[in-house]
Amino acid sequence: MRYGDFTTYDLLLLAQGLGVTVGLFLVTSLIGLVIGVLWGVVRFYRIPLLTPLITFIAELLKNSPVLVQLFLVFFGFPAFFHLNVTPVQAAIVTLSANTAAFIYVIAVSAIESVGREQIDAARAFGLSRWQVLRHVIAPQAAAFSIGPLTALLVNQLQVTSLISVIGVMDLAKIGATLNLRTLKPFIVWAVVGLLYYLTAKLIAAAGARYETRLRRFSEFRGL
Amino acid sequence: MLKVENVKKAFGAATVLDGVNLTVSPGEVVSILGSSGSGKSTLIRCINGLEKLNGGRIVIDDFDVAKPKELAEARKRSATVFQLFNLYPHMTTLQNIALAPVEVLKRPRAEVEQEARALLASVGLSDKVDAYPAHLSGGQRQRVGICRALAMKPRYLLLDEVTSALDPEMTAEVLAILAKLAREGTTMLFVTHEVDFARQISNRIVFLDKGVLLVDLPTKKFFAASGGLAQPRIAQFLSKMKKD
Repeated sequence: MRYGDFTTYDLLLLAQGLGVTVGLFLVTSLIGLVIGVLWGVVRFYRIPLLTPLITFIAELLKNSPVLVQLFLVFFGFPAFFHLNVTPVQAAIVTLSANTAAFIYVIAVSAIESVGREQIDAARAFGLSRWQVLRHVIAPQAAAFSIGPLTALLVNQLQVTSLISVIGVMDLAKIGATLNLRTLKPFIVWAVVGLLYYLTAKLIAAAGARYETRLRRFSEFRGL
Repeated sequence: MLKVENVKKAFGAATVLDGVNLTVSPGEVVSILGSSGSGKSTLIRCINGLEKLNGGRIVIDDFDVAKPKELAEARKRSATVFQLFNLYPHMTTLQNIALAPVEVLKRPRAEVEQEARALLASVGLSDKVDAYPAHLSGGQRQRVGICRALAMKPRYLLLDEVTSALDPEMTAEVLAILAKLAREGTTMLFVTHEVDFARQISNRIVFLDKGVLLVDLPTKKFFAASGGLAQPRIAQFLSKMKKD
């Protein structure tokens, strides 16, 4: 076996990189989901000061490149505030915030999709605002949002590849390292691409299955 | 007793209710007639606290709906059946009916569900317990809407044009149920365009015109030449309804 060969051991290295990618993806998606939904609820309750502040932050995050946000968190803030930030910490902060901004938009749109007349009915029957949110709005908003949410998560999985530029040993970084060693870009990047593709398909399939379950009440059965 | 005292409501510059006074005593069926835009539905929305008043007050069994702390109690005493059903589409009929009694009245779920099944059976929907609203006809949805309101065991049933979204056959289904409720002594405030039905079941008829309560008369007197019909606006409305 020569140093430049692409071996089965390299597949193990790629699997390890995939593990880092999926781990970071899951953690940042979960944090982003919690923050984004909370922001959506704040907007639903029209909380003064917080609502415009959240909208402003979300706009900043949505309308600037993730790579710039990543550099700002990894290089900019630590230099300015004299902090020590590891690549993984920077990746978690950046990807979570970026995901939260997009989930916020999906949450707001899903909440607003729930018919006003149902909220009126629930209020007229004496349900509190919290009970309306929990029993009437949340289940339907979840069903409405699962499609766009799945699309966003598939995209965010691809976005995780950016964290390789600050040194996180994710799938893309392992791919780049193997590429330099083997000088076989066609094989290395094809395998890396295939792993991203299969993971994305898994997310999409899980999303579709969950959506079918959540929308079982719906009249719409496809065209 | 349900009391509406000098209630005023405006949306921007448009006055929708202008000093409306009305009292409904337990056991009474009061129908509210009036053309579209006369303020009938807004009055119901004010009574169940969905609209803030610009003046006057509404009291349900001594609880003022304008006071947030009393509104919750007032809402426990009244229940609304809506024109467009307003069912929760993600819940089965049973869940739609059980939600408020369990969450608001804090009653045990098993007991509430047993009552909900009995209510559904009483309106001929015992086979639709686990159906979602999307899979029901308009008449069936409205019957679920009535069961949902009755499950709260309200002292006052508020009905907002409950048949206007239904075809004649479905309208007959729903009116038969309401007639039965009226015979059983359910207190109802009934906004409707069904003049003949209102005549059959009401103790009193109230006529609203452009937000003003023109008359509040016992049913017989309302339809008498010397009573409600003596008012040109009411005579015009009734003759138009007959033609339609």
